[in-house]
Amino acid sequence: VKMAARCGSSGLWRTCRVINRLILGSVRTQSSVSGELVPQTSLSRPPWSDQVSHFSEAEEQKRHSVVVRTVNQLLQDRDYGRLFVVVHFAGRQWKVTDQDLILFENHVQAECGDRIRLEKVLLVGAENFTLVGRPLLGKDLVRVEATVIEKTESWPKVHMEFHKRRSFHRKKILIQPQTVLRINSIDLAPRLT
Amino acid sequence: MVFLTLPCWIRNRGTDRFWKVQEIVKHARHFRGRKNRCYRLAMRAVRRAFVYATKGRKLKKRNMRTLWISRIAAATREHGMKYPVLMHNLATSSVQLNRRVICDLAITEPRSFLSLAKLARARQQEGFRAALGDGKEPPGVFSRVVMLQ
Repeated sequence: VKMAARCGSSGLWRTCRVINRLILGSVRTQSSVSGELVPQTSLSRPPWSDQVSHFSEAEEQKRHSVVVRTVNQLLQDRDYGRLFVVVHFAGRQWKVTDQDLILFENHVQAECGDRIRLEKVLLVGAENFTLVGRPLLGKDLVRVEATVIEKTESWPKVHMEFHKRRSFHRKKILIQPQTVLRINSIDLAPRLT
Repeated sequence: MVFLTLPCWIRNRGTDRFWKVQEIVKHARHFRGRKNRCYRLAMRAVRRAFVYATKGRKLKKRNMRTLWISRIAAATREHGMKYPVLMHNLATSSVQLNRRVICDLAITEPRSFLSLAKLARARQQEGFRAALGDGKEPPGVFSRVVMLQ
C-alpha cells in the first residue's frame, strides 16, 4: 500500500518550475558567454531536463512517516468526512459512496437481501487525503459492504444485422440478467503503514 | 374457446395479417411521415432503426472511451503534464484505475486527481533520475551525448 497524500501540498510543482527556470537561465548565460568550445546543440545534453534528487533517502523516510502518522491520526479521530471508494466489481470499476445504488448486467451468487463485501478497493478518497492502491488496498484497511436489492432482467434489446441486396438478415432479442446493489457502509481502519 | 390468459384472448381477435402488421408498426408509431402507418414503409424504417441501434450499442463504448481520454487530457494539462505522461506513469506505478474512473475523479474530485497527478510526476522524476544515473558515462562507451567536464 502506497499512499499519495496531499498533505505535502503544492511544493513539488513550485520546485519543478523553479528548476526549469534555473536551467533555462543557465543555458542562456552559457550561450552568451564564450566559455564553451563546442556549440550547444540538441545533442549536447540529454533530451530531458536535469533532475536533481530533491530529498535524501533519510529525508524521504521522515516525510513518509510523518504523512502516515498524520493520516492514521485522522483515521483514529474519524475526522475524514464522507468517504468515496473506487471498487472493482463485475468487470468494471465503480466510484461509489455511502447509500449508492449500482446496477450491473449479470448474475450474482447471492440471494436478495444478502449482505456482501466488495473486496477489490482501488482508491479511497476522504476530505483531506486520498489512499491509492497499487493496485489494491489492503482488506484490513478498507471495508465496503453492500446489499443485493433486486435481481431482474433488462428490457429486451433487439440485435439485428442486415446486408442489403444479399438476402441476409439476423434478428435476435437479447435479455440480460440485471442486479441492483445498495452500498451500505464504507469503513476505514487506522492501519496504514 | 379456451381463454388461457388475457393476451391470448386479445390475440384471438383479428386476422393474422393484422397482427403481423401490428408487430412491425408498433415500433414505428413515433416515426415521421407515412412510415408510421403504412406497413411497406414502416418495415424498412424499423429494420434500419434496429440495425442502427445494434451498431450504436457497440459504437457507444468506443466513443465514450475517446470522450474520457479527451477529458483526462484537458484535466492533466491543468497540472502541467500531458495525457500520455500521466497514464504511462500511473501504469508504471501499478495504479490500475481505468479511464472512466480517472475522468470522473478529474471532474468531481479535483483534489484526488491532483494527488494522482503528483504521483505520476514523482514516478517520472524517479525514472529520469534512474536513467541519468550519477551523470557520468559508463566506462568504455562513447555516446553521442557530449558530456563536457
